[in-house]
Amino acid sequence: MRQVQLWFGLLARLVLGGVLLLAGYLKFDELDKSQMAVRAYEMLPVPLANFIGIVLPFFEIGMGLLLILGAGIRYSAALSALLMVVFVIGISQAWARGLSIDCGCFGGGGQVAPGTANYLTPLLRDTGLLALGIYLFRYPQSKFALDKTPQSAALEKGI
Amino acid sequence: MSTKPKPGKDNFTRNLVIGVVVGVILIMLVPTLISKQTDTSAKIPASVSAERGYGVVFNGELTGVPVIDVYEDFQCPVCAQFEAAQGDYLESLIAEKKATVVFHTLSFIGTESVLAANAAACSADEDKFLALHKMLYQTQPKENSGAWTNESLVAAGNSVGITSDSYEKCVNTGQYAGWVNNVAAAAAQEDVNSTPTVFINGKELKRGNEYYDRALFKAAVERG
Repeated sequence: MRQVQLWFGLLARLVLGGVLLLAGYLKFDELDKSQMAVRAYEMLPVPLANFIGIVLPFFEIGMGLLLILGAGIRYSAALSALLMVVFVIGISQAWARGLSIDCGCFGGGGQVAPGTANYLTPLLRDTGLLALGIYLFRYPQSKFALDKTPQSAALEKGI
Repeated sequence: MSTKPKPGKDNFTRNLVIGVVVGVILIMLVPTLISKQTDTSAKIPASVSAERGYGVVFNGELTGVPVIDVYEDFQCPVCAQFEAAQGDYLESLIAEKKATVVFHTLSFIGTESVLAANAAACSADEDKFLALHKMLYQTQPKENSGAWTNESLVAAGNSVGITSDSYEKCVNTGQYAGWVNNVAAAAAQEDVNSTPTVFINGKELKRGNEYYDRALFKAAVERG
């Protein structure tokens, strides 16, 4: 049973980390578009949205790498889960307000023709990734991780 | 997973990896953030107005006429549709001095958009902006297919009658690359989230048929 958990931990790391890494990679050489994607959610003041649009791809790449390598799993999983919460809120409010935008999750983004926006797919995907992030935060033990002592340090203190 | 390894020593590799990943990300992020700022010292063509979002301005001196701001990307297929539908009308407004028209050449689709926008700025110095503008949209290749290079953009300029050495030099040296960045930064501040986006007298024209129907667009311009 313990072995299954370790392998599942690895799978969760690779899926969550892989998706983040891919999402960051696809955005980071088209930052104008990334800024556009964040602005289109109409949640933040424009200058802040523009700042986030640049920072986000770098943050995603960083979290993705750390998760895949298995370094600081609890922290990177917690931050990734938090990011997914933000994404879920962002997409939900866009949907609820009837904005016509592309999610911009993997590059692209901005306004789209009315009626062509698809919110359900990214919402389901991000919810699933959120679950993986929470799982990894709670059970960071996994195969092939650089965290040699995930169970010793923080966990044994009962956190 | 049975013995309890000594903390500290065992986590050296892990801490090193975290340090390297975070460090490299920050080292890449900071210059990127700086490069996205407006560079007021960048060279700009004579017909460009920093006050008008670094756009290429036609009839800027007129008063009491509609002001039309067009945000576009030379590689954007929908912009080519917009140009096909409204390009002649905009040119006639410019020629008859019935409107101030400002073109904002964005470059979010990729490096070939940057090259094209730079070439367009170079053509503005030769008074051939509108001709090259039309020509680039008429011959628009697939996005980032490698078709637009400095060489092909010089050739495109030649085909609309730009023969000067200064144009060739301007294209080849990317003379207005800093300006291209400024146009993008200004549009980001204006909250332009799609191309083409048209503002008439500062008011965004709602995405819809007005963009592609001459009569509807004309009516929108005349409404102001």
